[in-house]
Amino acid sequence: MMPIWTKSGEKRAVTLLKVQDCHVLRYVSKEESGGKTAKLLVGGKNVSPFSKPESAYEIFKEAGVPRKQKVTTFNVTDDAIIKPGTPLYAAHFRPGQFVDVTAKTIGKGFQGVMKRWGFKGQPASHGQTKTHRRPGAISTNSAAKVYRGKKMPGKMGDIYRTSFGLKVWRINTKHDIIYVNGSVPGHTNCLVKVRDSKLPTYKDCNKNPPFPTFFADGDEELPEDLFDEEIFQFTDPSVTFA
Amino acid sequence: RVSSDGKPPKFQPPPKPVIIDRKTQKEESRFLSPEFIPPRGRTDPLKYYIERKDMIQRRKVLNIPEFYVGSVLAVTTANPHASDKSNRFVGICIQRGGKGLGATFVLRNVIEDQGVEICYELYSPRIQAIEVLKLEKRLDENLMYLRDALPEYSTFDVNMKPVPRMDHEEIPVNKVQVRMKPKPWSKRWERPKYNIKGIKFELPEHKMQAAQKWSQPWLEFDMLREYDTSKIEEKIRKELSEELEK
Repeated sequence: MMPIWTKSGEKRAVTLLKVQDCHVLRYVSKEESGGKTAKLLVGGKNVSPFSKPESAYEIFKEAGVPRKQKVTTFNVTDDAIIKPGTPLYAAHFRPGQFVDVTAKTIGKGFQGVMKRWGFKGQPASHGQTKTHRRPGAISTNSAAKVYRGKKMPGKMGDIYRTSFGLKVWRINTKHDIIYVNGSVPGHTNCLVKVRDSKLPTYKDCNKNPPFPTFFADGDEELPEDLFDEEIFQFTDPSVTFA
Repeated sequence: RVSSDGKPPKFQPPPKPVIIDRKTQKEESRFLSPEFIPPRGRTDPLKYYIERKDMIQRRKVLNIPEFYVGSVLAVTTANPHASDKSNRFVGICIQRGGKGLGATFVLRNVIEDQGVEICYELYSPRIQAIEVLKLEKRLDENLMYLRDALPEYSTFDVNMKPVPRMDHEEIPVNKVQVRMKPKPWSKRWERPKYNIKGIKFELPEHKMQAAQKWSQPWLEFDMLREYDTSKIEEKIRKELSEELEK
């Protein structure tokens, strides 16, 4: 995570996400998958091919791509289908877009009710016998049962969670890095899934994105860094208020 | 050696002695700002490389001079609510923290009997100028104890003139022993964990020895805490000097 400043001098925190060897692996049509839209299987981050039997590599062999650590599905409309085997780059996103980032949260193990659900616990003194971090009452007398989903101690973390509506401030096309506003679930160097935001406020925010994706062998030559309009670029002189 | 047709080999005169003047070599600017040294961790070095590129970009626009904890600085920042749209603050640097673009330094001064500390970010775009009025080091790296010291040690004239200094001189170390206000202090500065050398403790002997109870003499031998930055520093220095010359 890194600080970033706007043109008016305000500081924002930004997370750096690197797009490392992402390739499209397979196209699954609407009828095959049984859902409402077609799906594209995408794999990220190359990994050694020797730790699993060869039968697990069929998807990668068909696409002609080395074995990937993680394979995810993206629901995609029919006009955004990409041929399996095409690499995906950070320039697929542009500054000013809004994205949702999904990742597995940091695993905390078996945790009590105060850390896991934010319960207040009991006071430290004034006669409390052996009860300082316990949940207290778990249901009422008239219910005569404990409801399903009652918040209780258990394994915390290591589940997929999404941060919605994060603004993309800057894209580095040379190293394939996306600068995304705020924090993102997961530990440093963990695998993360980035999608266009599904929030209704940002439905019309993506103006002319590269569609279906940014092709590196195309005619467009992008500069090394793409900035949002409001970012303060370090090549400019210091901010002055007129 | 390769023989030259049976004749005796041609006389090779001994190489002329090359005089390396170690004094002038040592005085090249061997100062590397502490926020460039990456902390020990599992982050990808690419992140620090990219941050360093941004830091160098900013340094090309705004000159961030060499300074240490204990030097007196004057900082002009942009302020939309001031009449001149800019603020100038003079103070002694008591702490330098943070790594990378978020590096900060705290300046302290006593203005009209009120102690004022301001934490500035080195790479913030609102800073318009940083001048070093007096470049010197102190015996400690953290001068937070000046809050509990007599106010005369933290007062600096707001219209102070910069103290002239020759380039090749070594950075002077101010060995002043600061006198403190009576206890209670904000922190127990006599305890060995702070390892403060710049205070003249006027506490009775038994209190100083009682404070030694909290000493942890095994810490200096702990090998897992060692972090040798010499090689990393060399690489970063080379990178910096190349980039700043461009």
